Amino acid sequence: MSIIEVSNLKKSYEKLDVLKGITFNVNKNDVVAVVGPSGSGKSTMLRSLVHLEEISGGSIRVSGEDLVKDGVYSKPQEIKRITSKMGMVFQHFNLFPHLTVKENLELAPRMARKEENSVIQRRSTELLEKIGLTDKATAYPANLSGGQKQRVAIARALMMGPEILLFDEPTSALDPELTGEVLQVMKKLAEDQMTMIVVTHEMGFAKEVANRAIFMDNGEIIETGHPDELFTNPKFERTRSFLIRSLK
Amino acid sequence: MSFEYFNTILMPMLEGAQMTVLLFLIAILVSIPLGFLLTLMARSSIRPVAWLAQIYIYVMRGTPLLLQLLFICFGLPMLPVIGEYLVMDRFVAACLGFILNYAAYFAEIFRGGLLAIDKGQYEAAQVLGLNKWQTMTRVILPQMFRVALPAVSNESVTLVKDTALLYAVAVPELLHYAQTAVNRDFTIMPFLFAGIIYLLITLFLTILFKWLEKRFKFQ
Repeated sequence: MSIIEVSNLKKSYEKLDVLKGITFNVNKNDVVAVVGPSGSGKSTMLRSLVHLEEISGGSIRVSGEDLVKDGVYSKPQEIKRITSKMGMVFQHFNLFPHLTVKENLELAPRMARKEENSVIQRRSTELLEKIGLTDKATAYPANLSGGQKQRVAIARALMMGPEILLFDEPTSALDPELTGEVLQVMKKLAEDQMTMIVVTHEMGFAKEVANRAIFMDNGEIIETGHPDELFTNPKFERTRSFLIRSLK
Repeated sequence: MSFEYFNTILMPMLEGAQMTVLLFLIAILVSIPLGFLLTLMARSSIRPVAWLAQIYIYVMRGTPLLLQLLFICFGLPMLPVIGEYLVMDRFVAACLGFILNYAAYFAEIFRGGLLAIDKGQYEAAQVLGLNKWQTMTRVILPQMFRVALPAVSNESVTLVKDTALLYAVAVPELLHYAQTAVNRDFTIMPFLFAGIIYLLITLFLTILFKWLEKRFKFQ
C-alpha cells in the first residue's frame, strides 16, 4: 500500500523551475534512496513533503490523506496533522543547542503532544539506548561529535513516533570516519521496518539498505528501480554519467 | 588628605551613588523588555507597525541622549497647549529619557541576536510540530538572549556611565556631589572617589554578566 503518493509535483522560484512535475509512490516499509547531482531538486522534493517548501502545483498524499491536491493545500490544522506523520533528519542536524540531549528529545513530545512525563521519559531512555548515547543524556550538542549529533537528531525525530522518516543528506556534513555510525543507526531502523526516504550521496548505503532508488536530475525523475539494477545497469545516459562521476 | 575629610564627603556621595544606581536599575529593567518589544515590532509583517518601530529606533539612536534628556525635561513643557501637562519631576523625566533611548539600543542588540539564529532551528521546530509560540519561547528566545548577552553586558556598563548625564538636568547624582565638593573644598579627591564608585558598580556588573555567560554557556 502506498503511504506517500506524489503526482506531478511542481515547484518554481520566479522563473526558475526547480521541480518539473515529479511523480512517485512510496510503499509502507520501503527504504527509498534519492540520488542525483546537487541542484537536481532532491532536497526541495523532500522538504515539500513536510511542508518546509510550498509547492507550485501537483498533489501530495500521505497515508491516504491529501496534503496538497492539484496545487491546493489543505487547511493549516490538517497540514499540521498530516505532516506530523513524518519525521525529518537534516543535513546540519539542527539540534537545539541550548538544550541537553535528553531535553532535545523530550521538548516536542512535551510541548506539542502534551504527553505524560513518565511515558516521555521511558521513550527517551529507550531511544538513547538504541542510538548508543545513554551516557550523553545530559551533554549539550556542542560537546558531541558530528556523528553523535546526527544520531541524537534521529532519536529526536523518532520520539514523535513517525510513520515515515525523511533524511536530507544525513551524512554530508560529517567527516568520512563518522558516517558509519549514522548509517549503522539507519540500517537498524530499516531492519525495524521503518519507512524511509533518504536523499544521499552514499551509494554504498543506498545499495545495501534501500529497496528502491530514484535518480533525479534537473528537477525531474530520470529513472527509478532497485538499487542493484539502477546502479549497475542504468537505462539512461544521464544516470550512467552521474554514476561514473560520483563513483570516482 | 585626612580621614576626617573623607568622612564628611562620604555620606553625600553615597547618597548620590544611590540615585545613580536607582536610575540604572529603573532604566535597565524597563528598557530591556521594551527593547525586545521593539525588536518584534520592527520585524512585524504589519508594515506600519514595522515602520513605526524602525523610525523610532533610528531617531533614538541617531540623536544624542543629552539632547533627548533636555528635550523631555525642558522642551516638552514649552509645547503649546499640552506643554503645561508635560512638566515632570526631573528624575522621572530623566528615567523616561533613559528608558526610551536605551530601549532602541537593546532593540538593535536583540535584532542581532535573532539574526544569529540559524533558520534550521525554525525548521526543526516546525517539523517536530511546535507551534509559533512554543518555537519562539522554547527554541528561539533562549538562544537569542544567549547570543545577545555580551552586548547587553556592554550596554549596561555604558548605561552606568551615562547616568552622569543627570548632571545636565540638575538631578543630584554621584557626579553632581563630587563636583560640588571639588568646587567647595578645592581638592580633586571627590573626583577620584566618584571614579572609584563608578568602577565598583561596573565591576559588580562585569562579574554578574560573566557569571551569566558562564551559566548559560550550554556546554
